[in-house]
Amino acid sequence: MTEPLRTNFHGDLDAVRAEVVHMCAMVTEMIPRATDAFLNNDLTAAQKLIDEDDLLDAVSVNLDTMCTQLLALQQPMATDLREIVAAIRLNPEIERSGDLVVNIAKATRRMFGTEYQPHIRGLITKMSVEAQRMFRLAGEAYEGRDVALGAALDDIDDRLDEYANDLVAAVLSDHKAHERDPQTSIQMALLGRFYERVGDHAVNVGEWVRFIVEGWTPEQAGAQRAMARMNQQSTTPAAPADEQE
Amino acid sequence: MADLTTAIAVKESTLTTEHALSPDSGPVSDDMVFQTRDLSVYYGDFRAVRDVELAIPERQITALIGPSGCGKSTVLRSFNRMNDLIPTARVDGTLLYRGVDLYADRVDPVEVRRRIGMVFQKPNPFPKSIFDNVAYGPRIAGIRKKGELNDIVEASLHKAALWDEVKDRLSASATGMSGGQQQRLCIARAIASSPDVLLMDEPCSALDPIATARIEDLMAELKNDYTIMIVTHNMQQAARVSDRTAFFTAEVDIHTDQRTGLLVEYDLTTTIFSNPADERTENYITGRFG
Repeated sequence: MTEPLRTNFHGDLDAVRAEVVHMCAMVTEMIPRATDAFLNNDLTAAQKLIDEDDLLDAVSVNLDTMCTQLLALQQPMATDLREIVAAIRLNPEIERSGDLVVNIAKATRRMFGTEYQPHIRGLITKMSVEAQRMFRLAGEAYEGRDVALGAALDDIDDRLDEYANDLVAAVLSDHKAHERDPQTSIQMALLGRFYERVGDHAVNVGEWVRFIVEGWTPEQAGAQRAMARMNQQSTTPAAPADEQE
Repeated sequence: MADLTTAIAVKESTLTTEHALSPDSGPVSDDMVFQTRDLSVYYGDFRAVRDVELAIPERQITALIGPSGCGKSTVLRSFNRMNDLIPTARVDGTLLYRGVDLYADRVDPVEVRRRIGMVFQKPNPFPKSIFDNVAYGPRIAGIRKKGELNDIVEASLHKAALWDEVKDRLSASATGMSGGQQQRLCIARAIASSPDVLLMDEPCSALDPIATARIEDLMAELKNDYTIMIVTHNMQQAARVSDRTAFFTAEVDIHTDQRTGLLVEYDLTTTIFSNPADERTENYITGRFG
């Protein structure tokens, strides 16, 4: 009785996992290309990337359909259930990350012809490398069920946040020194925000790894704290009320 | 029997000319194993099921589901003429098996049941050895050579995912096996007669969940070689194993208080269980059925 059962269903689950990994890989691969298109004012490369996002959407829709059908048809339980719930939650995280990368590509059009100061170029390159690294690690954590790596992404994200702050500071000082068009400076600050948000989504992907393996999400800690505070509030005022009587 | 076997074979090969269908019956799709038109089954004057329109595709699993008394087992049993064994039972309408009218006078019901095998709710092995159970059909068909029988028995037990468990005790009595093993033996016995179709009437309802999962996995394997139809009370099972699902329900005649089954909806299983077209299907699969 030790031979594997429900082999078809578990094969379908493998396909779900593969699609999630596939989506992570697509975003990971899109990030440096968007950065290159932006920094090099390459409208053709930018447009190609914008078009390719349709492919990511197609994979996303397919993944969604697979998950819905498995829920409807296979009555998944325990790890199998968490696996599918996680895929349903991860799907929009990754799909949204693709949209953010597309926003970077679209900025190529909006900022077309702008010459960027070397230190700003440097910061954008660093953010791109870091965002890509985070997304790659998130994909690896998911694929390898690596809870520790998944949890570490939150700390790894600090560096990307720092770069984002540095970029805003650099853009502001550049704005003052060279009397830049406010629109250009705002777009530059937004660009940093796009990379930073990609990093946040990578953190979320990492958190869902722990949910798959252990059934735990960080929000549960917050929920417990809220419950504890509510319990405290309901007991503390009760004492003075008794004393008043 | 040989003559009637030939009759079926002849009918198959000359289907389009000699045995052309009636003009109003429309075209027959090549990859459909069964096609029914206005199929009704009567027990005496009582119409148990009415107006069933089904096209059963080859090498797929088609599930028939619905509440008790909706006629799903009756319909299944009409697909290999098991209802013939009930004296008052009568089939009305058309039931084509690979283009041949299954209820035509020249068709031999025994040959029909060899080609369209059946597995029942309760495992029903013969009180014989495991080997003799599987070899039963081939022996009746006239196969006597020990080597040939051995091959058939081994291949059938392999296909029924039972070989590894019984290969060292083929001469042991089949009645000493577990329920799940007995059911797989019955599947092996059906396979041994080289059928084209397997009809399964609640094949797992007497089995525990592990044995059930094993039969379900086996069905997924078997559909590479056979067309399978399954009746099940367990709609989750229909969802898990089938490619297409037919939902039946019963109408009650307020004057006579008689229940007549009817086909409500027949579609891809993914559609039936995620977005059915008919409200009655929706109510049944979501448990809102009265």
